[in-house]
Amino acid sequence: MKIVIVSGSPKGQGSASEKIAAALQSRLAPAADCAALHAAKHNREEIMAALAGCGALILVFPLYVDGIPSHLLRLLDETRSAIADAAPGLTVYCVVNNGFFEARQNALALELTRNFCDSSGLKWGQGLGVGAGGMIHAARVGHGPMKNLGKALDALAENILRGQTGEDRFAEPNFPKFLYNMIAHMSWRSQARKHGLKAGELRRGL
Amino acid sequence: MKRTLILHDLSQNDAELFLPRDPVKYSSFAASPPVRHCTGCFGCWVKTPGRCVINDRGADFAALMARHDEVVFWSRLVFGGLSPDVKAVLDRSIGFVLPFFRALNAETHHVKRYDMTPDFQYIFYGDMTRQEKETAQKLAAANALNLGAERCAVSFFPSVRESAAALRAPI
Repeated sequence: MKIVIVSGSPKGQGSASEKIAAALQSRLAPAADCAALHAAKHNREEIMAALAGCGALILVFPLYVDGIPSHLLRLLDETRSAIADAAPGLTVYCVVNNGFFEARQNALALELTRNFCDSSGLKWGQGLGVGAGGMIHAARVGHGPMKNLGKALDALAENILRGQTGEDRFAEPNFPKFLYNMIAHMSWRSQARKHGLKAGELRRGL
Repeated sequence: MKRTLILHDLSQNDAELFLPRDPVKYSSFAASPPVRHCTGCFGCWVKTPGRCVINDRGADFAALMARHDEVVFWSRLVFGGLSPDVKAVLDRSIGFVLPFFRALNAETHHVKRYDMTPDFQYIFYGDMTRQEKETAQKLAAANALNLGAERCAVSFFPSVRESAAALRAPI
């Protein structure tokens, strides 16, 4: 089966979405012809060409203000009928990651993507919400704090390869929430210091 | 006097026809032509607090929100959410809140940057399904919670012309 993964992170290489997409691709590639593209790097023609005759499209993106990042949203809005024409019978799967610990906060972005499928005549496969997406930089997927994510990606990959649909799933790190929040706060202060800001300046208004 | 900021994706023609002409009560921000999209750099949190580092007019919206009593998101409904042009402006405006976390309703959300947060009003127009309307209701509530708005209203209309009446209705 031909599978296309479209990453919707505007950061490109090194982003949490990119790493999740790579981890999913490694689970799919032995059994499928798998191509990875980027909504912010590849143009519409390149993405549409990759989708021709494709059996599964996997969208992997970060949560932006409770929804889909605008550049990916634009791509989906402008290609909604063309995708169904290029790949009749395509099934869409979706992985959304956010900066908050709670993976369930990605549920609305999955719902928006499911609505995209309904409006485009595409089949919805399954969604996966990933909490504390940035923690993917802390450990290998499937190990330590990323154990739950590894299991969720294993199950998603199995469904994709079988062409099956499934209930949306949600994965959070095997790590204490309070500690994650504490580290996140320290990280924001540290990044601000690197840009020459004092702690109080981070909170200033305009 | 209540001051309202209207973020919209109306065509130039529709904007001239339907935007309120009272500059004391209303300010407007055209989302079309689109501003550049957010690059996820978090510069608005750790480099230039409150303001996006991308140097185009999209960088101004977060600070504008803080100076109004109400923000209206007047948008074509797309998959149950904002249109790409309006979403591009909102994605560029997360500097309106702080990067730090707080717990609300047993969920993590961002700490407010400003003491006063405007009310939100979402006016959606265009073709839409019942499911998309349900999603939009939930999305507006989630946006309000994350951005610290205490009051939020949502309405749906088949066309821009019909949706213009919603601007006159108080939340």
